[in-house]
Amino acid sequence: MVEGVRWEIRFHGRGGQGAVTASLLLAEAAFRCGYYSQSIPFFGAERRGAPVLAFTRISEEEILERSQIYSPDCVIVLDPVLPGTVNIFSGLKNGGIAVINTTDAPEKFRFHQNVLTICTVDAVDIAIRNHLVVSGTPVVNIPLLGAFLRIFSRIPPEITEDVIRERFRRNWKANVRAMWEGYENAVIRKVKGSGKTMSQESKCSIAVRVPVSKPVKGVAGRTSIWRDFVPEIDYSRCTGCLNCWLHCPESAVLRDGREVRIDYDFCKGCLVCSSVCPKTAISVAREVMG
Amino acid sequence: MERKLITGNQAAALAARDSGVEVVAAYPITPSTPVVEEIARMVESGEMDARLILVESEHSAMAACIGASASGSRVFTATSSHGLAYMHELLHYAANARTPVVMAVANRAIGPGWNIWADLGDTMSQRDTGWIQFYCSSNQEIYDTVVMAYRVAEDRQVLLPAMVCYDGFVLSHTAMPVVTGIGEFLEEYRAPWKVDFDEPETFGNILSSDYYMELRKDVFESHRKAIRIIKKTEEAFESLTGRYSPLLLEKYMLDDAETAIVAIGAIASESKIAVRKLRRDGKKVGLLRIKCFRPFPSTDVVEALESVDTAVVIDRSISPGHEGQLFSEIKSALYSSRNRPEIIGKVAGLGGRDVTFRAIEKAVCGEFRDGWINEVVV
Ligand code: SF4
Ligand code: SF4
Repeated sequence: MVEGVRWEIRFHGRGGQGAVTASLLLAEAAFRCGYYSQSIPFFGAERRGAPVLAFTRISEEEILERSQIYSPDCVIVLDPVLPGTVNIFSGLKNGGIAVINTTDAPEKFRFHQNVLTICTVDAVDIAIRNHLVVSGTPVVNIPLLGAFLRIFSRIPPEITEDVIRERFRRNWKANVRAMWEGYENAVIRKVKGSGKTMSQESKCSIAVRVPVSKPVKGVAGRTSIWRDFVPEIDYSRCTGCLNCWLHCPESAVLRDGREVRIDYDFCKGCLVCSSVCPKTAISVAREVMG
Repeated sequence: MERKLITGNQAAALAARDSGVEVVAAYPITPSTPVVEEIARMVESGEMDARLILVESEHSAMAACIGASASGSRVFTATSSHGLAYMHELLHYAANARTPVVMAVANRAIGPGWNIWADLGDTMSQRDTGWIQFYCSSNQEIYDTVVMAYRVAEDRQVLLPAMVCYDGFVLSHTAMPVVTGIGEFLEEYRAPWKVDFDEPETFGNILSSDYYMELRKDVFESHRKAIRIIKKTEEAFESLTGRYSPLLLEKYMLDDAETAIVAIGAIASESKIAVRKLRRDGKKVGLLRIKCFRPFPSTDVVEALESVDTAVVIDRSISPGHEGQLFSEIKSALYSSRNRPEIIGKVAGLGGRDVTFRAIEKAVCGEFRDGWINEVVV
């Protein structure tokens, strides 16, 4: 059996940044270049801000896989804060490529592979300058795709340009510009890693008997990283009516008698608590990730 | 003929358009929603000449489909999971009323334990309604199967509704290359009897114990006859479009196999990679993919499996209190065979747990002894 050449690309993003679209555009561009391709979106919780995965396979022969990608040749990371919260390098092949939306230099990233090609680009800046911002979220997918094409020479950027033009009928000019800016501003370096193999990530092994809604580590994960906004209780106004405790969909408002407290590990930032508080005691601040 | 990169849901919608569907009644539900959205877009733009009826529930959707089919139209709908469960009563109705409705089902788990991901439990639990059931393993197949399903369902010897099932998200939302176009494959639907306002008749009348058994027997016999029609349809489709698209079952490297993987849906495609890898290690493994689950192709299954020593059956659904449904059917088909192989049942991928070819390889090599492939082997 002769196996053709193939590439597997994994996208990491958060809802709203365009990971799924980027995966599809890349698959479409590859398809037009004569490859078999496949684009798999992975939807977790369907909510803006929740971590999202998407996958693209590009192959010289028919693709039979229906599963996700665990040992990618390349990862494309759309969210500048994700490297701190999820292991974006997980399973990435030694010598593989990581295209990262960041203001940091390629050398700043730590990983377990011997060596990787790290490609960085400030995609947020490119998105903002080209007015690619939807409901407050910079849509960074296109500049990152541009940066990827700089390394992946199998797909001419001009073909991708056509795909973008057809996909974004109204806004294609800004997107095409963003792609080229990503292409041109990509910083590419070979970077050495620790070379130490990592222990396998822990698998879900919890026993599930009754689907109760109290969050458990490992079921919905720590929903704290979904937050764009964070609720804060002003105790000088709180009367202990327990409305917030009753309404929180994640049971992230904890109570001790009539005293309430928010469990920020699991608060997903939906702000239901704030809107049901009769004393307007729960204020809302922007989340600061670190 | 055109080749494009589309999702499974788009493939289903385009197939409905190309089949000349005249009425679509639907109530959208994840992950089949984009089927209805795509049809709505095509009806709006004039690309599809059909009447789209948006109703208030899946129960009503199927009721409207039955009505439209009974008045002689070619009818299509799509649903998933809870929506399909809610249709249950009307699924029986559609089969007994002999209305050849074709329905796309993006398979999804049923809650609680709210889960929108792939699981064949939703359609498996509709097994005995009288519907024909096809399970696809690629987007190309979703397109081809919807088209072929009309030819089978509308055949005068069959006249039964058909479900075209495909793993939610794994196929419904994944984009893959699909060739569209069916040439002259389908003729206009001519209903053998239909609602006629000039000559009123009663449909769905009362049927006492003197007759009901004969009605069910006819449904039963029509399923039997459908096997031959399905084979003929597969051949006719290939000769008219040039595409071979298995409609009953598919054999892959099975001729000299000692061990057969028996699988259904998307997992069957992933299994092909496991077969190749195991072959490379010198193991004589093949695959039998069940495409048509109702009618169940018992004779062909026996023929395909009689010569193997072991059959490892993988289900993406479970009948609590017993075992995986496919496992049961395979065993029952082989019961009368003198040369029946050892048959081992495994359950995998419930609620969208990813099933990799590595996990399938391990299962074939004797791991997962308790029958549960619950590990995502990467
Ligand atoms: S924002 Fe409020 S209601 Fe929403 S999860 Fe956090 S604590 Fe609960
Ligand atoms: S709803 Fe407002 S007042 Fe009532 S307990 Fe919560 S924070 Fe306090």
